[in-house]
Amino acid sequence: MSSESSGSSSAPSGAGPGPGLPGSAVELRGITKRFPGVVANRDIDISVARGTVHALVGENGAGKSTLMKILYGMQRPDEGTIGIDGEDVVLHSPADAIARGIGMVHQHFMLADNLTVLENTVLGAEKLHGIGAGARRKIAELSDAYQLGIRPDALVEELGVADRQRVEILKALYRGARTLILDEPTAVLVPQEVDALFDNLRELKSEGLTVVFISHKLGEVLSVADAITVIRRGTTVASVTPRETSPKQLAELMVGSELPTAETRESTVTDTPMLHVDGLRLAATDSDGVERAVLDGISFTIHKGEVLGVAGVEGNGQAELVEAIMGMSDPDGGTVTLDGRDISHAPTRVRRESGIGYIPEDRHRHGLLLEAPLWENRILGHVTEKPNTNGPLLGIPGAPRLLALGDARADSERIVAEYDVRTPGIEVTAASLSGGNQQKFIVGREMSHHPKLLIAAHPTRGVDVGAQAQIWDQIRTARREGLAVLLISADLDELIGLSDTLRVMYRGRLVADADPANVTPEELGSAMTGAATGHLEHQEETTGAAAEDIPQNASANDDTNGGVK
Amino acid sequence: MNRLKEKFGAGAVLQALAAPALALVAAFVLSSVVIAATGEDPFHAFYVMIDFGSKSDSQVWIINKAIPYYLSAAAVAIGFRMNLFNIGVDGQYRVAAFFAAVVGGAFALPGVVQIPLIILVAMAVGALWAGIAGVLKTTRGVSEVITTIMLNSIAGSLIGYFLSEDKLAVKDGNLFHTPTIPEAARFFLIPTDPDPIYGTVVIAAVIGLAYWFVLGRTRFGFDLRAVGRSESAASASGVSVRRMVVTSMLLSGAVAGLVGMPTLLNKSFNYGTDFPTGVGFTGIAIALLGRNHPIGMALAALLWGFLERTGIQLEFEGYKQEIVGVMQGIIVLCVVIAYEIVRRVVLRRQQREVGAELSARAGAGAEQDETEQKAGATA
Amino acid sequence: MRRVTKLATAVTATATLALTATACGESSTESSDGKKSKGVGLAFDVGGRDDHSFNEAAARGTDKAEKELGVKTKEMTAGNNETEETREQRLTSLAKAGYNPVIGVGFNYGKSVNKVAKDFPDTTFGVVDEQSHAKNVVGMTFAENESSYLVGVAAAKKTKAKKVSFIGGVDNALIQKFEAGYVKGVKDTDPKIKVEVDYLYKESDEGFNAPDRAKNMAKGMLARGNDVIYTAAGQSGAGSIEQISKKKGAWAIGVDSDQYRQKGLEKYKDVILTSSVKNVDVAVFELIKSVKEGKPLKGNQTFSLKEDGVSVATSGGYIDDLMDDIDKAKKDIVAGKVDVPTRP
Repeated sequence: MSSESSGSSSAPSGAGPGPGLPGSAVELRGITKRFPGVVANRDIDISVARGTVHALVGENGAGKSTLMKILYGMQRPDEGTIGIDGEDVVLHSPADAIARGIGMVHQHFMLADNLTVLENTVLGAEKLHGIGAGARRKIAELSDAYQLGIRPDALVEELGVADRQRVEILKALYRGARTLILDEPTAVLVPQEVDALFDNLRELKSEGLTVVFISHKLGEVLSVADAITVIRRGTTVASVTPRETSPKQLAELMVGSELPTAETRESTVTDTPMLHVDGLRLAATDSDGVERAVLDGISFTIHKGEVLGVAGVEGNGQAELVEAIMGMSDPDGGTVTLDGRDISHAPTRVRRESGIGYIPEDRHRHGLLLEAPLWENRILGHVTEKPNTNGPLLGIPGAPRLLALGDARADSERIVAEYDVRTPGIEVTAASLSGGNQQKFIVGREMSHHPKLLIAAHPTRGVDVGAQAQIWDQIRTARREGLAVLLISADLDELIGLSDTLRVMYRGRLVADADPANVTPEELGSAMTGAATGHLEHQEETTGAAAEDIPQNASANDDTNGGVK
Repeated sequence: MNRLKEKFGAGAVLQALAAPALALVAAFVLSSVVIAATGEDPFHAFYVMIDFGSKSDSQVWIINKAIPYYLSAAAVAIGFRMNLFNIGVDGQYRVAAFFAAVVGGAFALPGVVQIPLIILVAMAVGALWAGIAGVLKTTRGVSEVITTIMLNSIAGSLIGYFLSEDKLAVKDGNLFHTPTIPEAARFFLIPTDPDPIYGTVVIAAVIGLAYWFVLGRTRFGFDLRAVGRSESAASASGVSVRRMVVTSMLLSGAVAGLVGMPTLLNKSFNYGTDFPTGVGFTGIAIALLGRNHPIGMALAALLWGFLERTGIQLEFEGYKQEIVGVMQGIIVLCVVIAYEIVRRVVLRRQQREVGAELSARAGAGAEQDETEQKAGATA
Repeated sequence: MRRVTKLATAVTATATLALTATACGESSTESSDGKKSKGVGLAFDVGGRDDHSFNEAAARGTDKAEKELGVKTKEMTAGNNETEETREQRLTSLAKAGYNPVIGVGFNYGKSVNKVAKDFPDTTFGVVDEQSHAKNVVGMTFAENESSYLVGVAAAKKTKAKKVSFIGGVDNALIQKFEAGYVKGVKDTDPKIKVEVDYLYKESDEGFNAPDRAKNMAKGMLARGNDVIYTAAGQSGAGSIEQISKKKGAWAIGVDSDQYRQKGLEKYKDVILTSSVKNVDVAVFELIKSVKEGKPLKGNQTFSLKEDGVSVATSGGYIDDLMDDIDKAKKDIVAGKVDVPTRP
């Protein structure tokens, strides 16, 4: 990757269109926050015009969230002023912010699953319109006005992600929000849902509301925003309009250097199968006591040097597939063969020792011991392997196996250096690192054991662009050396860019396959919602390395399709 | 060099010393307030405690008292390190000591054979008793808190059943006890003046060392701690959580089985109706106080012994008998709170350091690009 | 961070040990001075002076001694779950400070009194309910079987259903003595009467402090038609007495002290037929007096009907009509004509 450091260290050039514009809904001037955390905000100037969608873009850890917490009253700035509707205010709490017409939709929804939409909306705001007919009337009014399509009596637990998001928006509007902050609203949505959300946002805008939209997905930002402010390392580096910029330029502003891409075109796929999954089935009993298959008839092969991407809306069995291959759950049927060896019922540790590397979807739950220092996290998952371990005590077979703490520390230092994990040392706890650095450390750890198969579940989720490029590079390099990769991701660009073969998972089955060379995110998206099955054929005809796999895939898919209907 | 600084940096020293210091000061102040509230002079009380507690016979008494406390704390701590709450140490050690006493009183083998036999029986019975809770947790999902409490109760009934004349016990005045262990099968004493220290202090030391070594230096220990910190992460890393639950309960129970040994092999030589009870619960407090650390728990056990020793003297001097109990409670609370405060302070410090690291790199953009290039090259 | 914590703790530990070591040499018992008695040292069992029962009875003895003999008393109390070491230390403290006699109340002190006494040959020790194994220890035991025999006679005379029962607190040798005397007393009076016997706990001392359990047990016994229940279970007795008061025509028999006169049981006194009284105060007073007079008691002292060490309470007057039978039985026992067993 080449470096273009010209723009990276320059002072904010286009920042601050001048304070005190009459039409500004939100006016942040000189915000500085010295925060005992990852990044402080320095001299942030943002002016959000009323009745616009204003996007705030930047890498993870650039300070966007801190800034929004300041605006929402969750944190107080050390310096600088906040103006709302032309008036300087001091926000002590979210309640202050709400009173001033600021509403926020968090990345993680804050809804009570076992309550209805109406109840969730009214909860905590009972005084506004009561809890009965008045509230119902108001909700219907808002839902119609902004075309939110709310069903007030549905239980939240029955709603999909997109519906929940609309409930969150409704909650904010119900509380009288005139400015809505949306924190990474598209991270959890499929493309079609993103489009629907954007329609809602345009509706809001046309009614005179203001939307502050936080994202790092540049394509989306360009399609919906009226104005864009770029934040890098805690400060505003540019304010641009979509008309005068391109995704590439925007990304370079965000990163401060040239953009990485997920593109992988030269094929390294070999004929040697590394992972072969055949007829995998896993049943689970749900809360009503009904048994249903969470994985059904899953069959695929990953060859050495091949990246198999699995697309799908979250909750369609991807997590269960990973767990079955990792040995964390015992399949009810089917086989898993790694490098010619049947590991269908082998314990997790045996699988890891025989060469499976694992980048978990939820690194906090499955990849790290948050309270433990980094060097102990170096050992996690590879406690039986060099350099973490020595032979048995005094060389007696069967005696306790000793840890090689010195070697493990030294190797942690190496990972920190080689994978650019930004940390003051290996003694700090994993919890004190930012998400991106935690992920780099995990990737470093897994790659250090030269796996035969890498299971990468959302490997770049919540990771800044710089780290993302690095992680992609790692995967590509290892793939060239014969690594087989099972890639699961919600980021369709990542999937298309990195994979040699693509599969789509829907309700526990692999329902469609596609050639990443010529499939579009929209086509994948429709398969992810179950609207399309079989081989996703683009107008142009299929070519390339994946072609040889198609016949056998197609037959497998025929079976599965039959089962769905 | 850098690593040295890291390891012995100001932050680390702060964490290591600040919490105990904070806890001690707070406990001292609060205890003084409580004593003063009873209308007595707190400073005289502390004088009495230190003066009396530092006498040589007091020291021996304290050490002897601390041995079972330490073993009990170690048993509890094994569970704690793995996020299991073994409340059942009390029942485990009593059942273990009872059957060990029965075996010890039934044979008259040479000491080198019989002492290890008694100890092994105790460990096996303790492990078995705790293992029931472990198996129930893994197979039926019953919380070990519930089962171990129940097993404590069952242990009492079981012992009561066998501890009668027509079963396994003999009558001695108003007491029933198991046949007395022969002279040869008793543990040695360390001849200190004026009273001897129990030789079983060696067992406690060995357990402390083994605890430190197994947990901190072996793969098994790492797996156990990993489960304690995050079950999901441990499971993903290849630890069989179920097996670990059973294994650690067995280990905890085996150590719990040793709790009765100092009394059995150095003091009473039989298990009678007057055998000490409740040491398992004291162990919970001591494990908390000692932060599950082998040396910390030793200090805590000694402190507990010191308080009990000097507490009797305080009562003798006219202070309320309950003062010592109150002080013990205050100390445990202060320690738990102080460590939590210091932990948070240190975490914030660390985050600030990480933040500083990031902004330092941000400040030197060129340098950072260089690093990125390097990283790209190595990969 | 972890390593540093360890290192620091190690240093602290070493320092503490070093500090402790410097204090070695002086023993707390070395400062013992003078032979002059400071008065009576009294070590209570769990519950302390105000337990309305056993400890309180002992305290009545020392109170009387303070009044009549002019001696001073130092009282100390046992804690829950305490061990031999603690009891030994308590007795040592008292003896070392020059108290004479030093009395342990309750058989829990049996071992420790006999052990500590060896270190203080010039002090007289006493232990209630337990045997002496040392020259300067006085074991004060009571013929509870004899008083239980007498209440057994009363029960046999009073029962209409010809069914009586016994609730013991803990199934140990001491309480079995109560059972044995009671059953014998009943059977000697009327061999046809059925006696139901049960214990609250097999092993645990909780049996002396489990009124709820006693209440349930009494409920069952009443339901099975028993109409006189003798409860020898310390504090637990309150539970069974309360339950008995709910059933018309049923009688309760109290234990240790005259429970008819107890404040806490005032509401139920109308069902308390009598109590088997153990005069711990008499024994304690006798011991103090003997020491004061320079002719300390020695060895085992059994306080029986003969010495009024045990007796039957007559408060309430419910057994006034039976006094002839009871006095006759008492005379027979004192004269050795009736042999009351100590074990069932």
